[in-house]
Amino acid sequence: MGREGMNAQHLSNGMPELKAAALAADLPMNEMFSADGHPRPECARVVNYLLSMDTRRLAELGERAHEMFLRMGVTFNVYGNEDGSERIFPFDPVPRIIPAATWSEIEAGLIQRVRALNAFLADIYGDGAILKDGIVPRDLIIGSSQFRHAAVGIKPPHNNFVTVAGIDLVRGSDGRFYILEDNVRTPSGVSYVIENRVIMTRLMPELIRTLKVRSVEQYPADLLASLRELSPNGKSDPAVALLTPGPFNSAFFEHVFLSQQMGVDLVEGQDLVCADHKLFAKTVYGLRQMDVIYRRVDDDFLDPVVFRPDSLLGVPGLTAVLRAGNAVVANAIGTGIADDKAVFAYTPAMIRYYLNEEPILPIVETHLLRDPEVCEFVLRNLDRYVIKPTGASGGYGVVIGPQASSLELAETRARILRDPAAFIAQPVVQLSVHPTLAGGTGSTLAARHVDLRPFVLLGAKPRVLPGGLTRVALREGSLIVNSSQGGGSKDTWVLEN
Amino acid sequence: MLRRIADHLYWAARYLERAQWRSRLVDVNYHLNLEVPPRMADPWEPLLGITGEREMFAQRYTHADEASVVDFFTFDRENSSSIRSCIEAARTNLSALRNTISSEMWLQMNELYLDSRQWSPGLLASEGFSSFFTDLRNHFYSITGIIRSTMPRDLSYDFLEIGTMLERADNVARLLDVKYHYLLPRLEDIGGPSDGRQWAAVLRSASALEAFRKLYGYSIRVDRVVEILLFDPNFPRSARFSTERLAASVERVAAQNCGHLPHQLASDNLLALLRGSSASQAITDGLHEFLLKVEEQCSTISDALFSEYMTLG
Repeated sequence: MGREGMNAQHLSNGMPELKAAALAADLPMNEMFSADGHPRPECARVVNYLLSMDTRRLAELGERAHEMFLRMGVTFNVYGNEDGSERIFPFDPVPRIIPAATWSEIEAGLIQRVRALNAFLADIYGDGAILKDGIVPRDLIIGSSQFRHAAVGIKPPHNNFVTVAGIDLVRGSDGRFYILEDNVRTPSGVSYVIENRVIMTRLMPELIRTLKVRSVEQYPADLLASLRELSPNGKSDPAVALLTPGPFNSAFFEHVFLSQQMGVDLVEGQDLVCADHKLFAKTVYGLRQMDVIYRRVDDDFLDPVVFRPDSLLGVPGLTAVLRAGNAVVANAIGTGIADDKAVFAYTPAMIRYYLNEEPILPIVETHLLRDPEVCEFVLRNLDRYVIKPTGASGGYGVVIGPQASSLELAETRARILRDPAAFIAQPVVQLSVHPTLAGGTGSTLAARHVDLRPFVLLGAKPRVLPGGLTRVALREGSLIVNSSQGGGSKDTWVLEN
Repeated sequence: MLRRIADHLYWAARYLERAQWRSRLVDVNYHLNLEVPPRMADPWEPLLGITGEREMFAQRYTHADEASVVDFFTFDRENSSSIRSCIEAARTNLSALRNTISSEMWLQMNELYLDSRQWSPGLLASEGFSSFFTDLRNHFYSITGIIRSTMPRDLSYDFLEIGTMLERADNVARLLDVKYHYLLPRLEDIGGPSDGRQWAAVLRSASALEAFRKLYGYSIRVDRVVEILLFDPNFPRSARFSTERLAASVERVAAQNCGHLPHQLASDNLLALLRGSSASQAITDGLHEFLLKVEEQCSTISDALFSEYMTLG
């Protein structure tokens, strides 16, 4: 191909505009290009590869990926959508690169963090030392809707409360990774990480080989190993199952996927029964005792005897079985208190308190509106903050001050005044951007905001999936990357070296 | 295996077999009535008798003609037994089984389902009746072929087999019951020449015409039609063959429970009924009564297997 042809493609796929934008000051970090407009060293090969393609080829890659996902049934369900509720999680074929050195720091930071969160849970559902020592205010914990009194005194094997964690990271304009929030209840998304890679190995096999991208396929085996390490009563060959709310749950595909990959039963609440302080599955030949349950059902629905009595998704009497030590659920009951958005502010203190270490990864600055002075200051500058309800997850109820209308701001103010303790405020982080197919036919590459959700497993030892789920806000300028709010995903490539 | 999983397998298989069966009924009837003269004034109405759906049909359609019956059988979302609804139901059951069945089977099923979501009656005109139903049949053949060639012969396979074979035996009994009633009002016709085209269509509905010709030659006698559809031990869609396969699966499922067999299996009576009779005897004693017994036994077997292996209690 001649020089001219190369230039024509060069112009058509949007890359020069991206370069120019990266040069402009006062912008979010561009993960592929440095401020001088050159590709970052670890991205040079990918950039060259993308330059070698015209718009149509790129769009074709996107469409092929979409088609593959649909045929494979890699879908999620959207709540409150009656017509054809199955959707594809939009996939962007432009990969995100994380060099080895950057990743090893993130990995160390994640392990440190999950260890501290786990120690915190073991503490507050046990002796409560951190409350007695006044590091975390007692009323913040005991008063939280996420604190489960039913979990006090239940001791899981190895004091392991958090077996699976998904930690959301964002990259600031300074290029550093910050913790945005923790997910230690029933975090989802890992199946997309694995399926995204399956697709990418078909779309860009040579690139993956030459770049030495670290594999992600080990995750299900690691998850199973971690679950087996939780075996109660020292059983050497525990019966493991994945408990799902059922086919209407938004993450049902993932439940199917993981149980299939691990080779364990996918059970619903109606498949299980408690008797004699033991847990059983109803099989065609009668009852079979179960030992470890990877549950993807929220606390509220897990046991109608203890939590919501109207729940049909759970297993009556399960909490009593756990208390007797005859079965284990992962994650343990009550872990939601550790990813409460107000408790988040105390996580650096937890790391220092339990591990006697300095936090490796910083958190996004977080203000608790339960403090009247803080609340007053934030209310005066509402258009400069992101406001989040403390109890919710999945991006629901989040208000981004600079992008909110005056009506939205007024409503938010009213809600805060009604119950200040139910909210936190964070400064707006200029999430880093990444070249992304802007969508539609004739699409070009454009900068879109991204975040990262790595997955951490904690069994007898920690295991971290290399990379994680990169979510991308497909709408221009949008900072919300959640799949429920129009986000998509990218494959994340952690390089071997 | 979880009881709920056994239930999903059983129903997925039944719905697949039902969809397949109905697509053949519609296709065969269409071709039968392309050429004049049709034997009956209203050649589409009797199909509703075969599936026992006259009442449901009458609630929503005024007249039983080609367009309305084909729509009711193929595309109708409100009819839980239309081909479209069966495909959707099979796929819903299979989606709960994705870690039980092979991924090839899932891919094929999902593809059929995604296609079926785009269906509309206009498709028959644009694609052509024949090619629509030929494609559909090939889809079903791929799915059954994939099941046979990718699934281990374990409990999962047996529950699929049980669902398929029960549905098949039941369907062939109903087909014969209705057609016999329509096509053969006088007893003296038995064994003599009859409406060859109509009986050929009956055979074709069960994919049995070629097998019939190989066995009996060109001329179609009613007792031989009954023989091949009910009692032939080798023809894969006969009630006898289906019941033999059903019984084998029922026995394997029972035997795997601690290795001992109960002295009575749910399928014993139906098997004895079909092994112990013949076309001539059944016709002499009253074919309708015989077929009623077959249909009753099918639902008795279904009930027994449900309470033994599937209900969650």
